[in-house]
Amino acid sequence: MLIQAIKSRNLVFGLLFGAGIVLIGLFLQLTVGAIEWTCITYPINICLVIFFLILLVIGYIFRARIRFVRWMGQYPAAISALAWVIFLTLILGLTKQIPEDQSENGIWGISSMLSFWPFFLVYCWLASILGMVVLSHLFPFRWRHLPFIFNHLGLFVAMVSATLGNADVKQLTMNVHVGQSEWRGLDKDGIVHDLPLKICLKKFSIDEYPPKLTIVSNKTGKVLFDKKSQNLSLEKSVTQGALLQWEIQVSNVILNAAPVELADSINYIKWFSSGATNAAYVKATNSFTKVHKEGWVSSGSFLFPYQALLLDSVSSIVMPGREPKRYSSEIELFTQSGKKVNAEIEVNKPLKIDGWKIYQYGYDEEKGRWSDSSIFQFVYDPWLPVVYAGIYMMMAGAVCMFAISGKRKEERK
Amino acid sequence: MSWDSFIYFALSSVAFFILGAFFAWKGRKSWIIYTSTLIGLFILGGFIVNIWISFERPPLRTMGETRLWYSFFLPLAGIITYVRWKYKWILCFSTLLSFVFICVNLFKPEIHNKTLMPALQSPWFPPHVIVYMFAYAILGAATVLSIYLLWIKKKEIQEKEMEMCDNLVSVGLAFMTLGMLFGALWAKEAWGHYWTWDPKETWAAITWFSYLFYIHYRKGFPSNRQIPLYFLLISFVFLQICWWGINYLPAAIGSSIHTYN
Repeated sequence: MLIQAIKSRNLVFGLLFGAGIVLIGLFLQLTVGAIEWTCITYPINICLVIFFLILLVIGYIFRARIRFVRWMGQYPAAISALAWVIFLTLILGLTKQIPEDQSENGIWGISSMLSFWPFFLVYCWLASILGMVVLSHLFPFRWRHLPFIFNHLGLFVAMVSATLGNADVKQLTMNVHVGQSEWRGLDKDGIVHDLPLKICLKKFSIDEYPPKLTIVSNKTGKVLFDKKSQNLSLEKSVTQGALLQWEIQVSNVILNAAPVELADSINYIKWFSSGATNAAYVKATNSFTKVHKEGWVSSGSFLFPYQALLLDSVSSIVMPGREPKRYSSEIELFTQSGKKVNAEIEVNKPLKIDGWKIYQYGYDEEKGRWSDSSIFQFVYDPWLPVVYAGIYMMMAGAVCMFAISGKRKEERK
Repeated sequence: MSWDSFIYFALSSVAFFILGAFFAWKGRKSWIIYTSTLIGLFILGGFIVNIWISFERPPLRTMGETRLWYSFFLPLAGIITYVRWKYKWILCFSTLLSFVFICVNLFKPEIHNKTLMPALQSPWFPPHVIVYMFAYAILGAATVLSIYLLWIKKKEIQEKEMEMCDNLVSVGLAFMTLGMLFGALWAKEAWGHYWTWDPKETWAAITWFSYLFYIHYRKGFPSNRQIPLYFLLISFVFLQICWWGINYLPAAIGSSIHTYN
């Protein structure tokens, strides 16, 4: 009973302590304003990490004398810190966040929560508790503490390094035309930076999913569908299908097509130059009224307008633009250190070189598959190995947690 | 193979799940319980493999597809829990929930097509979602157990029953952690950063922290049984918001890359 009462008192203290942290945060928010993360770059962040670690170690060494530090290593401290972390993260989850580049902060800064002092301080508080319990489980080291250390140290390392390393992350985008070279990138504020890399774009290619037919409302342009079918994918083998109450027959699909205006109609012919569109000759029969319509349907391109087939007063068949399946850039890359690399970059397959990761970011969407330029994203994150070390530790911790769950208690019995 | 044939696979697998659950409830021999559940899993798994092949992509993109995996993993999580801890009610529960999700897919079919945007074409995609669905299944079991202990069971809650809850939560949390971290590693390869506080990620963090709260509370205050059980229910609400609720959350609409159609 007594232990329970002391624990409850400790928990109340923890909750009040958390409230104090939030109040201090609010005070800072109102006096110095939101946190300027861009200031915390190297070497300031390194100094902060070292300072933080030293503080934790000093606290740990004098734990016998400082009651507060001993309290930090107990469950009530962790529980109350988690409660505050959940509460503030809930606010983040429930409020619409303003993109970083807009300056206004909304009510008390909660619409840019990541630079909101109470949010940051509460997470710092959680990290301090994590640091303290890791220290107390590391010295003296016991093998049976390993899962505990993986879980707690992993989260500590990942959280601290990701937060303090964030300002060192460089993210630049670069737009390169085929056959041209580029070494300048734009940051999110639109400022041009010179990169230590030069890219020459040799080729950009897109694979697309087959064109589709769908029925849209003449009035709103919205897709009309029932439960079973929304669209008819024009794969090679497909020549017929059904959309709503219409039986569809496709007699001719041209993936590189151009419209030719005849006296009273439009015909599509094969045409392989830039700007070619997709076209299909479609025959539609209403299965109830037996009304029959036929004609060309085309998705259009940046060069040619789209072509719909009017079915009745309410609906038409259209061919939406084809969705990209895979897009990639063949590049030649030169580094300042004199390296020359030939590579192919595609989505999910970035290129890693000299600490940079180069991503396939986009292309000229208006031109679609005829895009003659490719957009790359350059990311430099010197803290990544540290964050990954934390992530891998947490993974190991999770595996241990699965393996030993329920075992300990069985042993105790 | 398409969703049209789902009903045959679904009903026959559910029949085997029910058989397994019935035998478990009656305390029959283990082999007959395992065999019937495994046959059910084999049938439902066969359907998943078949549509995976015919869609030419992992069937993990739409909400309906994640429900399909959920209805597969519930009985799997159930049988694993049964093998390990021999709770005779667990298969009844997993079968019932699996059946609910199968019914949702039968009565509210979604439009399923083959397209998969390039960013989702990654070897990380299947493990990320599958591990998460498995975690959700286990945590669903923990939720039902807590409802049972809080309101249905009239007698005092036993420590043994609380341990059952603890076990389910730690296994669920272990899988959830893995799912979240797989997501982070994948995000780095596909979008350039491992964590961007995208609404889905924010809610994943909330869910994760709230299950951590449960675990720490249980260790810190082992004799207090009501509060952690209530918290388990709240955590499951967070989990639902993370899974599908953010599609309707005003704060998240239009700003998440994790939107399913």
